[in-house]
Amino acid sequence: MSSILKPTRRTALKLLGGSAAALAAPHVIRSAWAAGGVLNVTTYDKFLPQEFLDKFQKDTGIEVRVRLTDDQGKQYNLLTAEGANPSTDICTVAGHRYSQFIASKLLQPLDTGRIANWKNLNTAYQDAPWARVDGNLWGLPVLSGYEGLARNVDQVKDAPSWEIMFDPQYKAQTSYIVSDFLTIAMQYLGHDGDFVSYEGKPEVAQKAVNEARDLLIKHKDMVRKYYDAASEVQQMFVNEDIYLAHSWSGAAAKLIMDGHPIQVSVPKEGTFGFCYTLNVVNNAPNAENAYKLLDAILASPEVGAAMTRQSGYSSTINGVGDLLNEREKLALTLPQEEVERIVFFSSVNRDMKNEMIDRATTEVKAA
Amino acid sequence: MRYMFADAPRATLTACYWAFLLYLLLPLTLMMAMSFKDANFIAFPIGEWTLDWYVKVMQDKQFLEACLYSIMIAAAATVSATVLGTWIAMLIVAEGIRGRVVIFALACLPAVVPGMISAISLRIFVSAIDMPTGTAAIILGHTVHAVPFVVVMALTRLRTMPGNLVDAARDLGADSVVAFFRVTLPYLGPALFGGMIFCVLLSIDDFVRTFFLGGYRPTLPMLIFAKVQGGMSPEINAMATLVLVVTAAVGLYAEFMTRRARTR
Amino acid sequence: MVSTNTTAGYPAGREASVPKYSTGIAKVVNSALYRYTLGAVVETRIGRIILLAGVPLIWLVMLHVGPIYQMLKISLTSHYPVLPGVESHFTLDNYAIFFRESLYFTPLIRSFIFATIATAATLVVVYPVAYYVAKIVRPEGRSKALLLLLVPFWAGELIRTFSVIMLLANRGAVNVLLREIGLIDRPIPMLYTSFSLGFGLVYLICLYMLLPLYSAIEKIPSPLLDAAADLGAGPFTRFRRIVLPLSRDGIVSGCSLVFLTCIGVFATPMLLGGPNTVLFPETISGFFHGASDKWPVGAAFALIMLVTALITAAIFMRLVGGKKRSAF
Repeated sequence: MSSILKPTRRTALKLLGGSAAALAAPHVIRSAWAAGGVLNVTTYDKFLPQEFLDKFQKDTGIEVRVRLTDDQGKQYNLLTAEGANPSTDICTVAGHRYSQFIASKLLQPLDTGRIANWKNLNTAYQDAPWARVDGNLWGLPVLSGYEGLARNVDQVKDAPSWEIMFDPQYKAQTSYIVSDFLTIAMQYLGHDGDFVSYEGKPEVAQKAVNEARDLLIKHKDMVRKYYDAASEVQQMFVNEDIYLAHSWSGAAAKLIMDGHPIQVSVPKEGTFGFCYTLNVVNNAPNAENAYKLLDAILASPEVGAAMTRQSGYSSTINGVGDLLNEREKLALTLPQEEVERIVFFSSVNRDMKNEMIDRATTEVKAA
Repeated sequence: MRYMFADAPRATLTACYWAFLLYLLLPLTLMMAMSFKDANFIAFPIGEWTLDWYVKVMQDKQFLEACLYSIMIAAAATVSATVLGTWIAMLIVAEGIRGRVVIFALACLPAVVPGMISAISLRIFVSAIDMPTGTAAIILGHTVHAVPFVVVMALTRLRTMPGNLVDAARDLGADSVVAFFRVTLPYLGPALFGGMIFCVLLSIDDFVRTFFLGGYRPTLPMLIFAKVQGGMSPEINAMATLVLVVTAAVGLYAEFMTRRARTR
Repeated sequence: MVSTNTTAGYPAGREASVPKYSTGIAKVVNSALYRYTLGAVVETRIGRIILLAGVPLIWLVMLHVGPIYQMLKISLTSHYPVLPGVESHFTLDNYAIFFRESLYFTPLIRSFIFATIATAATLVVVYPVAYYVAKIVRPEGRSKALLLLLVPFWAGELIRTFSVIMLLANRGAVNVLLREIGLIDRPIPMLYTSFSLGFGLVYLICLYMLLPLYSAIEKIPSPLLDAAADLGAGPFTRFRRIVLPLSRDGIVSGCSLVFLTCIGVFATPMLLGGPNTVLFPETISGFFHGASDKWPVGAAFALIMLVTALITAAIFMRLVGGKKRSAF
């Protein structure tokens, strides 16, 4: 009895939450109406076209709720904060984050047996070595891209090597994402920017990272700005604030599609490739519905086409190419010899890579 | 001679005001002009002009819904933050209160925490009290963020409020509550008006807390941030221009109505 | 005004003291419901204290301290979130990292210097404007003058940041104009420098200065200024002896709002900065955004920033706010 009269701190807190829940109730009730249940998707704007969603909802009776995101960090942090009770069923993960989401136990292994249309995925991506981690596949690859060297072709005729990013002629006219470019600089210096060969050899790795770091610090005057978001590098190119940049291929391809004098290439030292994946979240409350959506996406090339137009990356789904116009196709095409220079991010030795690159990034920025 | 000296500062101040207004409006005019550009990225020169973006935005159900939803959240957060902020400010200036500095520092806390950290900690906190995410949680988050601004604004007037005003009211028999509503609150007017403006602006600018605390119904900033991710397109400028024009029109209309009501 | 001071106490016969109000408030105050509930509460000293302090203290402790307390807990652990197979234990190491090397110290100092300069600049730019609106404009025009200044802020932070980019970029309005009239033949790089960062910061944040200043200046009695002028005080003397001291609260409030937001919250202005203007919030967000997420270190750094910023603001208030005002 006394336990009723003496509310603990915990129950007091819950009472507060409960009364707030009552305020939010109408929304909860509304979602429960949908006959086939709900499905919560976190993804980018325009990745899932409205017509597709309408049709899917009509066919399955599942109410799809989309949360728009604008960067990977927020998605990661939100899922981490939510822990064992995620509020989302499907999330959209970019290649460089793939292994991080898996390592943090935020995703569940993908059971391709539950996706009838898995065959519609380009065979190269059906069981790629990079995608298989701990013996499992963890996501449906939907887009593929690479880290390219983008340039304004009116100002920079040719860029066969990453060397040009340190060419005094383009002083204060280059830009890059520090953490990404550190790994590229390691490649340029002849090291292994993806750390695969450094497993168990932290001293060798640290030496390589330090060399790349010192190179970037020495050439800091080459840089107009360290950027983070695709929209930033796009705007800098459009405004002619920069002529050269390390850029994810999608950001540059969108400029090309819009008719700007931009080219993106893979220099001879090579670069890294990655895929965007749609992933079923660990402990997803509506995993069953999530699989239905993934299956429907593979059956509808127009979804892949929408994703490509919105992001500037190539689709991994069969039949999407037929839906794109010439200009869009051209923006996505690379010469075969350059395609061969792309190495997909591995999932090996990530902890060492993240640790060392993060620290070097801070050091470059603070220098 | 004396008049000349008296007028000089006046003219300078007028010039200051108009220069400042120009500083505020000039970049925005560019932004508005860009909304007519016929291309997928904003840039000079504008080249081809078009109204297509406006047609597109006006037909965008998601945009209109996001606007209404943002207004609803902003209104709720503003009301609760103004009440709480004023209340806290009253406590800070009350006579015989010890630890004012501590209370004030606590009140200011949410204003100093970077958005991402505040969002994460609110998200964890909301789970700790078993509150579901959604509209109520978003309003709570926005209120927490806005309260410090109301407190600080209220203090701009409260601390130098002539104490004899309230004393006089009480001598006339008003009890404390009545004295607050009849004397203090009207005196706080301009400060609270400013505080409320801050609340609305903070709420409609907030992206990260909204994302963490709910987010399956996009608010306006969520929509805009998500769109910018795909490239800074004139469509976004068209959205912002519409918001600007409508708010300016509503503001001017409200100002006109209150003035007319007063002169009657 | 609810107060613990009982000097303005109530006469013994309280029925007699129920005042006659002229407006709707009378209905409420004289209703039985009010008199036996809230009215009765205000009668007693303890009741007044509870009414005054209850809600604010609960709110502050629950919602201002609560979430930060979660961060504090995280900052004192070695791992967060705790994954299966990993032991998380209590540690102060996350704080020690900050003091161990200058790597993180530099951005913090830079942040403080930058916030201080931005605050001073905003104050200087905005004060005359606030004064103009509050004292020079005739009362009936005031709200319109204020409204005009408010318009740009409804566009949102991100849009306004991009509009600054459109102004200052190599192909932005200023450079295009200068090239058109033939003053330059190569664009002047203005964007992504300390200048553009400062320009943008003042542009984004000036409202936090304007409204407190306006609210403080507006309450200065105009007859006071007229009287001073009649007694022969020049504009400068009037400003120094009357306006400045009487608007001190506005200055304190405006500066603290601008300073605190500059230091901690604003992320968008960073879009305008260059490679040499990396500030502390960016360092912190690196721990939350970077590839290897280190929440405990990020949380510790955020708390360090929080405490130093609040202490700085408190010192500033005591210096400028003066002792007479006793509140701080």
